[in-house]
Amino acid sequence: MKAEPEPQGRRALAAFTVELDVYSGPYEGLLSLILKHELEIFEVPLRELVSLYRSAYHAPGTQALGSGLERDADFVDSATSLVLLKGFALIPTPETEEEAGEEALAPQDLEERLVTYLKIRRGAEALGERFAKNAALYPSGHALRPRSRSLRVHPDRLAGAVRRAFLRTAEPEVGHLGPITVTVDELVGLIRTSLMRGPLSFEDLVRDMDRLRSAVAFAATLSLASEGQVNLSQDEPFGPLTLEPAE
Amino acid sequence: MNDPIEHGNAPAPTPSVASLIEAVLLISSRPVSLTTFLSIMALPEADIRAAIGELKGRYSPKSSGIVLREVAGGYQLATNPACAAAVERFREEARPGPLSGAAHEVLACVLYLGPLTRAGINAARGVNSDAVVRNLLDRNLLVEVGRDRESAGAPALLDITEDFLVAAGARSRDDFPALEALVDPEEITRIRERVSGGPDESPAQASYGGSE
Repeated sequence: MKAEPEPQGRRALAAFTVELDVYSGPYEGLLSLILKHELEIFEVPLRELVSLYRSAYHAPGTQALGSGLERDADFVDSATSLVLLKGFALIPTPETEEEAGEEALAPQDLEERLVTYLKIRRGAEALGERFAKNAALYPSGHALRPRSRSLRVHPDRLAGAVRRAFLRTAEPEVGHLGPITVTVDELVGLIRTSLMRGPLSFEDLVRDMDRLRSAVAFAATLSLASEGQVNLSQDEPFGPLTLEPAE
Repeated sequence: MNDPIEHGNAPAPTPSVASLIEAVLLISSRPVSLTTFLSIMALPEADIRAAIGELKGRYSPKSSGIVLREVAGGYQLATNPACAAAVERFREEARPGPLSGAAHEVLACVLYLGPLTRAGINAARGVNSDAVVRNLLDRNLLVEVGRDRESAGAPALLDITEDFLVAAGARSRDDFPALEALVDPEEITRIRERVSGGPDESPAQASYGGSE
């Protein structure tokens, strides 16, 4: 984990980077991955995150890094949101209407559930010890090919696989879309012409374009980049995108 | 240097049953069952059992860097845990980190109450466990084994896998102690008192919910 001095005019938490088991990089990138559901909130140790922040900005000898108040406020705001997200994610989702309208448990039921949970908890502890004890045994590295006689496929799984294989996905409804009046090739030509004058900001390129043309311009940009005709640079996630002609 | 398989003009000695079993175990990363040995060797069960007993003595943790384990309904050769540090240095790999408490709870639910649906696991733990279940499916410690046709939507039933038994060093489900044996009866009595509003505590003080 590290914190770099914050240049003027940047976002308060832009310099905060974290080193966790599940993620290593800018804190803002971590937030972005969580919001995009590319990282499970369950896997993010929030307490460790707060400790990292405290040791980055509030450990002795780190007072010189930035003014702090705005950054602290931003961090508290985002960390609180993560706590809420994690809390909501932990609430069981009712699967049936009956379950959704379930009333408070009767004392006997609650008692039964608590006792069951206690047993599961103890079982989990015993299991944890067992796993730890057996973690240091490494088997032979030779992976066998599956034995045809021991391959077992449940009929339901087979039926599901067949259903998926023969399923034709429904045609998406496109009535709400307007006619496509621009092609990738046209925008590729436009980008090539613009780049003859030097590096070009994507924002400048699409400044006077409508949403459709902007989207096609982005596709054209990616197409040129994948062909190696254009170099793309972006200093930070969601930051300005610059196009440069490839050498 | 002499070639270990060079026997000159002498006929190659017939390998013992123990040697055959040893060779098969060496090339298998999965446990090999007695039934498999019976089918590939066409020998009496007693001979194979005797040979396995001989190998157990040869691969004793006290004298060998390799041990013979009896796991997941079969036999497996693995490195002696006492040698783990050297093995890990050689592989240049740290031992995988332990599973989380939540993962152990989910596995315990399925082990003791399973096969179980995701909703069943959530109900037993009192918290949503879907993400943990997903992770355990990815690690091949849980597997979908069918559908609960009695429930609306016929949700998938989850059960433990062979990898689970190997990781736990267990021959089968029967190797695990009964749940009741793991809980102190006094603890259960305390819970019952708290829920029914014993002299010291109100029902509201009883806490319920899986570990994060």
